[in-house]
Amino acid sequence: MTEKPDKTVNNLIDELKERAKELNCLYEVQETLTQPGINQDEALQRIIQVIPPGWQYPEICVSRIKLGNKTYQSENYQKTPWVLHSDIIVQDQVEGQISVNYLEEKPELHEGPFLREERRLINTVADQLGNYLLQYRLQDLFNKKAKDSTEPDTGWRVVLSLLKKTDPDLLITTARKMVHHLCDHGIKEAEGLWTLFSSAYREDRDILEANFPYQFKVDKEAVGTLDSVFDLAEKYLEQDEIFSSIQQWIREDQTGFLVNTLVQPGRSLSEILNALDRFILLAEQGLELSEARKQSVKMALIRRLLSTHESYVQSAKKHIEIQDIHKLSDKMIYQSGSHGKLGGKGAGIFLAMEVIHKALRNQSLFKKVKTPKTWYIVSDVIFSYIEQNNLEEIIEHKYLNIGEIRQEYPYLIHVFKNAPLPPEIIKGLSVALDDFGDVPLIVRSSSLLEDQAGMSFAGKYKSLFVSNQGTKEERLASLADAIAEVYASLFGPDPIEYRYEHQLIDHHEEMGILIQEVVGQRVGPYYFPAFAGVAFSQNEFRWSGRIKKEDGLVRLVPGLGTRAVDRLTDDYPIMVAPGQPNLRLNSTLEETLRYSPRKIDVINLEKGTFESINIDQFLKEYGQVYPGVKKLVSVISEDQTRIPAGLGPDFENDKLVFTFDGLFTQTEFLSLLRTVLTELEEKLDHPIDIEFACDGDDFYLLQCRSQSYGDENIPAEIPAAIPDDELIFSASRYITNGTIPNISHIVYVDPTAYNQISTREEMLDVGRAIGRLNQILTKRRFILMGPGRWGSRGDIKLGVNVTYSDISNTAALIEIAQKKGEYTPDLSFGTHFFQDLVESSIRYLPIYPHHKGVRFNREFFTQTKNIFQELVPDYAHLEDTIHVIDVKTSSQGSLLHILMNAEKNLAVAILDEEKKTLVTPSPTLKRGDRRIREDHWRWRFQTAEQLAANLDPARFGVQGIYLFGSTKNATAGPQSDIDLIIHFTGTEKQKEDLKLWLEGWSLSLDEINRRRTGYTTGGLLNVIFVSDEDIKNRTSYAVKIGATTDAAFPLPLGTDKG
Amino acid sequence: MSDSSYNPYTMAQKQFDNAAELLDLDQATRDFLRVPMREYQFSIPVRMDDGSIKVFRGFRVQHNDARGPSKGGIRFHPQETINTVRALSMWMTWKCAVVDIPLGGGKGGVICDPHNLSLNEQERLCRGWVRCLAKNVGPLSDVPAPDVMTNSQHMLWMLDEYETIHGGKYPGFITGKPVGMGGSLGRTEATGYGVMITVREAMKELGIDIQKTTASFQGFGNVSQYAIELYQQMGGTPICVSCWIQKEGKAYSFVKKDGFDLERLREITNHFGEIDKEKAQDQGFEVLDSGAWLEQDVDLLVPAALENQITGESVPRISKQVKIIAEGANGPTTPEADEVIKERGILVIPDFLANAGGVTCSYFEQVQSNQNYFWAKEEILGKLDLKMTDAYLAVSKFAKTNKIYMRDAAYMISVERVSKACQARGWV
Repeated sequence: MTEKPDKTVNNLIDELKERAKELNCLYEVQETLTQPGINQDEALQRIIQVIPPGWQYPEICVSRIKLGNKTYQSENYQKTPWVLHSDIIVQDQVEGQISVNYLEEKPELHEGPFLREERRLINTVADQLGNYLLQYRLQDLFNKKAKDSTEPDTGWRVVLSLLKKTDPDLLITTARKMVHHLCDHGIKEAEGLWTLFSSAYREDRDILEANFPYQFKVDKEAVGTLDSVFDLAEKYLEQDEIFSSIQQWIREDQTGFLVNTLVQPGRSLSEILNALDRFILLAEQGLELSEARKQSVKMALIRRLLSTHESYVQSAKKHIEIQDIHKLSDKMIYQSGSHGKLGGKGAGIFLAMEVIHKALRNQSLFKKVKTPKTWYIVSDVIFSYIEQNNLEEIIEHKYLNIGEIRQEYPYLIHVFKNAPLPPEIIKGLSVALDDFGDVPLIVRSSSLLEDQAGMSFAGKYKSLFVSNQGTKEERLASLADAIAEVYASLFGPDPIEYRYEHQLIDHHEEMGILIQEVVGQRVGPYYFPAFAGVAFSQNEFRWSGRIKKEDGLVRLVPGLGTRAVDRLTDDYPIMVAPGQPNLRLNSTLEETLRYSPRKIDVINLEKGTFESINIDQFLKEYGQVYPGVKKLVSVISEDQTRIPAGLGPDFENDKLVFTFDGLFTQTEFLSLLRTVLTELEEKLDHPIDIEFACDGDDFYLLQCRSQSYGDENIPAEIPAAIPDDELIFSASRYITNGTIPNISHIVYVDPTAYNQISTREEMLDVGRAIGRLNQILTKRRFILMGPGRWGSRGDIKLGVNVTYSDISNTAALIEIAQKKGEYTPDLSFGTHFFQDLVESSIRYLPIYPHHKGVRFNREFFTQTKNIFQELVPDYAHLEDTIHVIDVKTSSQGSLLHILMNAEKNLAVAILDEEKKTLVTPSPTLKRGDRRIREDHWRWRFQTAEQLAANLDPARFGVQGIYLFGSTKNATAGPQSDIDLIIHFTGTEKQKEDLKLWLEGWSLSLDEINRRRTGYTTGGLLNVIFVSDEDIKNRTSYAVKIGATTDAAFPLPLGTDKG
Repeated sequence: MSDSSYNPYTMAQKQFDNAAELLDLDQATRDFLRVPMREYQFSIPVRMDDGSIKVFRGFRVQHNDARGPSKGGIRFHPQETINTVRALSMWMTWKCAVVDIPLGGGKGGVICDPHNLSLNEQERLCRGWVRCLAKNVGPLSDVPAPDVMTNSQHMLWMLDEYETIHGGKYPGFITGKPVGMGGSLGRTEATGYGVMITVREAMKELGIDIQKTTASFQGFGNVSQYAIELYQQMGGTPICVSCWIQKEGKAYSFVKKDGFDLERLREITNHFGEIDKEKAQDQGFEVLDSGAWLEQDVDLLVPAALENQITGESVPRISKQVKIIAEGANGPTTPEADEVIKERGILVIPDFLANAGGVTCSYFEQVQSNQNYFWAKEEILGKLDLKMTDAYLAVSKFAKTNKIYMRDAAYMISVERVSKACQARGWV
C-alpha cells in the first residue's frame, strides 16, 4: 500500500459522515415502509423525499420511482446524464425502477459521480421496495377477502388463483404443506395426495432405496390438479384455519432468501448479514416462521457466525435467538468478502451474556450484572491483512523450528506493527471508537482453536490494553497498532509450541479480535476497576474438607484482573469459595497479611501505560477516592483485622490490607457470583470459568469459557483393574483432577516412626533433612509423603516442621491421616502454605489409609531399599523415619504415576513404565501427546561436554566434573539449569579463577538459551564444588558421585595441556 | 509404642525433677508440683452454619495457683492433646514466678482447626468454651489469654459470654483484649524492652558502659525491633541484624560496622520483619549470609528469631569480644552450645527471664482491668522496668550465691518461689 496510514485516517472522518447519511436514509426508508396504516402512494411519495439527503450532494440530488404506470418524483426532477438506476423486483418480475440523479456535474467516482456505497444504497432501497410491494399486495388481498367473506371460500381461493398465475412454485410448496398439515390431522385421504408431487410416491417404496438413480417422471399437470388438495382441506378444516395457514406459508416463503444465503458456503458475511437485516425487517412487519425454519436459520447463523464446535452449538441453540445474532451484527467489523467468525473468546462471551441476560428476566439479583461494550473483528480479516501487506510467508512460519520462530518473533512484531490494516477495517474501528468514546480498551485475541473444549490457550495469545486517549486519529492509530500486535501473536513461539504439544499445529487457525471497554473509573491519573478477578464454577483447590467442588472458587484482586488471572509467585490474590464464603483461607493475622495482594495493576491515562503499583503507597495517595474501598480493605488493629466502620479508614496512618471482608460479609457480591456461576454452568452444561470486574457500582462479566484445565489438571482416566503389586496406594477423599506422571523418587516419612521420635530436636531434624532432599532430588520428579500436617509449627508432633522452601521442588505433597486409636487426625490441606502450592502448581493429596476400600501398601514404603542414608549421610539417624525410594531401581524400571479423578473421587498411585506422554488422555477429552522436547536436554548435554573438554584441569585444580539433575536425566526443559559437580582440589586462588571462568560460560550459555527458548535464568550453570573430604565422607552432593541411584555422570575433562 | 514418643509433658516433668533435686525439695512438694492441681476436659457442642451440630473437645489445666490466679492462653489447635496443655500450663507457673508476679500457671485449648470454621462458628465455640467453665475460671481464679490461632476477637467473645453468665462487668477475666476494650498499652514494646532492661542490668553488674557497646541481633520481628529501639535509646550501637526472606526461603545478615539507624531500617521493612535487600544496600548495609550475625565482633548478641540457632557447630564462631547473650527467642541455644558458652564465661540471660516482659504486661492488663483504671504507656513501661530489673537482679544474685549457671538459676528460683507459696499455705 502506497498511501500512508495517517492519510487514510484523515480521509476517514469525511467518509464516516457519508456513511452516517446513508444509514440515516436507509433507516428513514425502512421506517416509512413499516409505518402502520400508510398506503402505497403516501409511502412512495415520502420515500422520494428521504432519498436525496442520503447522497453525497443532497442539494443537487433528485429521485424518481416508476412503478407500473405510476410515477413518483421529486418536485424539481429532471433527467440528467448523472444518474443511478435500480430495478424494483417483485417476485422475480421487474415491476418498476428507481432513479437518483444529480442536477450538476460532479467529479468522477466509482460509478459516474457516485460512490460505491451509493450504488449499494440504491440497490438496498429497491430491494426494500420490492419486498414492501409484495407484502402490500398480499396484505391488501387478505384484507379484502377477510372483509367480504360472505362467501367463505373466496378469500383463500383468490390467493391461490393469484399464486397459480404469478408463482406456481409457491403454490406447489403451499399445497405440499397443506398435505402435511392434513396428514398431521390424521386425515387418511390426504396420504393419497402425495402422488401429486412426485411420481416416486406411486412406485414401490423400495425404489428410493435402490442403488441406481431414480428416474423421475415430471408431472406437468401438477399445478392444475392441486385443487384436489385444497378441496380436501375444505372438507375437513375450518375456513379460518385454511386461510391463516396459507397466509403463514406464503410469508414464510419470503424468507427463502435467508435460507438460501445461509446454506451456501460461498456467501460472504456481508451477504449473510444483509439477508439477516432483511429478515429482521420482515419479522418486524409481523412475519412468523415455523419452528422448523426458525431452528434451521438459527443453527445456520450460529455455525456461520459464532462457532462450529459441537458442544457450543448445542448450548447456543438453547439460549440464542435470531434477533440476538442480529443485534450482535451491529458490533461486528468485517470486510465485504469476509467469511469469518467471532472466534472462541468472542463466541464464549456472547453466549454467556445471552444466558445472563435471559436469566435477568427472572432474577432480581442479575439486574446488577452487566457486560462491557464489546466489538468484534471477525476471524479471517487477519488473512486479508496478511495478503494486503504481502506477508504470505508468515503462514508457513509455524513449520520452522521453534528456535527460529523465537528468534524471528521480535522482528515479526515489528513488521506487523508497520503494516496497515485494511481500510474497511479501519472504518469499522472508527465507528467502534465513536461508540466507545475515550474509555480505555482491551484488545483480546479470539482464535478459532481457543474454543475447543479443554484447550487452554490462556495467555498464549496476546491481550493488550490501550489507554485510548488523545485525538480520534491518535486513538485509532494506537488501537490499530494493538490489533496488529495481537495478530502477530498468532505466530508467536509460545502458542506454536503449545499447538505442537497438543497436535494442533496442522489445524487451521484464524484469529478474531475482541475489543472490549475496560471496566473502571478514573482515579488521579489512573484508570482501573475497584476490583476484578476470575471465578471457577468447580473448585479444584479446596483448603478445607468442608468445601465441596461445586462451591466454586474466586480469585480476587484490587484493580485490573491481570494479577488474578496469572499465577505470580510473589503476590497473592484473595481466594474464597462462593459456596462456603465463611470458610476463609486465612485464619490468623499473619496468614492474612502474608497472602494478600501487594500490588495493583492500573492503566496510567496520562502516560498511556500499564503499571503495577505498590498497594500501600497507592492507598496512601488515592485511598480517599478509591471507589468502594471501605468494603475492600481491612484495618490492621493490634492482632486482628477489622472492616472499617463509620467514616472509613485513615489512609494516612492506618495500616491497611486488602481482604474484601466488607464485600464478602456486607454485600450480595458472593451470592451474586455464585448464582452467576451456577446459572452459567447449568445452562451451558459444563463447568465454566469467568473473568469479571466491578467499577465500584456494577458487576461486569468480561469473559466466560468452559473451565480450562492446565495440562496437569485434566481428570485422569483410572484403569479399572490394577494388579495389587502395581497399586501402591489409593485415596478417596477430597480428590482433585490431574496426573502426576513419572515420579522417580518417593520421600516417605513413616507416621508410626515419626510418632515415636522422643525429642523435639530430632523432629526438627526430620524437617531439615526434607529440606536437604528437596535440594538434591530432581525438581517435580519426586513426591513427599508424611504424617498429618506438613508445615506444622509449635506442636510439631502433628506433622513435619518444614517451610515452603523446604518442599518447593516436590511434585506433590501428600498427607497421611493415620488413625490413632479412635481418633483420625485432621489434615492441613496444605493450609500452611496453601497458596504457595497453588501458585506453583504443587499438587496436594490427603490419604486416609484405614478407610474402607483404600489401599495403602505400607510395606512398599518401609521394606523397599531405602537410599536416604546415601543421599544425606549426616542425618543417617533418621533412617527409620525417612525413607527415600528410588522407584526405577526398586521396581524393575517402572516409575510411579499418580492418577487423580475428582468425578470418581478416586486417586491411585501405580507403578508403570515411563510415560512418554505427560498427559493421560481421558476418553471424553481428546488430547494430544505432550512430548518432552528432546533438544532441551540434548543441547545441554553437549554443551556440558564441551565445557568439560575446554576446562584445563591443571590450571584450575580440578579432578573431575560430573553432570547430574535434569540434563543428565534427559528431562531438561527450556528453563532448566545445567547441574554440575566439580571435584576440586586446588587453591583458593584457583577456585576464584575457576568461578570467574565458569561465570563467563554460565552467562553466555544463558544468553544462547534465551535465544533458543525465550527463557532467561540469569546464568545457566549450577555448579557445586566438592572436596576430597566430601567424597571420602560421602557428604553433600559428593554422594551423587558413583551413587547407586541417579548417579552423577562423569564428563571427560580437557586433555592436560600443561 | 507411645511410651517412647516425644511427649512435652514428660519433658516438663523431667525438667522439674532436675530442679527439685537441686533444690532438695521434699517428696510431698515434688508430688504436688509435678502434676497439675486441676484439669478440666469437656465437650462443647456447637451449632454449625449449616444447622448441624459438631462436638468439640475442650481443655483447661490449672497447674498451680498458690501464688495467685492461674494465667495462660487458650489454643485452637487441630491436634491439641491434654499432655501438651499440661506441659504448657506448668511452664506458665514457672514463667510467672521468675518475674515474681502474683499469678499461677494455666493453659487451655480446643481441638479444632480455625481454617475449617467460619467466624460465626468460632464465636459459638468460644462462647461454648466459657459456658462449660464459667464456674471454674474468673478474674480471681483463672485468667485466660490469646495463644495459638486465637486473638483479641476470641477473647472478647469469651469475656462477653462470661459477663452475661455472671451478670456484671469483669474485664479482669481475660487478657489480650484490644486497647480501649480493656486492653493494656505497651504490649507491643513489652517483650523487646524487657530483654534490653535485663541487658542493661547485666552490663551494670559487669561494669560495662552500654554507650560503648555494639550489638548484633538475630531476627527483625517485634521483639528484636523494640529491643534495638531501647538499646539505641540507651546509647548502644547496633551494627548487625539478620532477617528471614520468605520469598527466597533464606535468611540474610545486614551489617553496618559503624552502626545503623533503626528508624531508617524500619522504613524498608515489611510487616513480617523482612528487610528489602536492595534498599538496605543503598543505605550502606553489607548483605551477608544468614550466619554472619553470630560472627560479628560485638559485645552483645541477641538471638530473637528461632529456637536452636546457637548450636555446637556454630558456637565456636562467636567472637571473643562477646560478653552477653540475651535470649529474646525461646530456646535459641542448644545444650551442647550451652556447655561451650558456660566454659567461655559469656553471661547468658536465659529466654525464660529475658523475654518475660510479655507475661508481665499481661499481668498489668489484668491489674488495670480489675481496678477498671487504665494507665498511660509511660506508667506501664516504668513498672515494667521495675519488675524486670528486680527479676534480673534476683536471678543473678541466686546464680552468684549458689554458683550456678544463669539458666539453672532462673528455673530454680521459680520452683523455689512456687514451692514456698504452697508450703506457706500449708498445702504441703
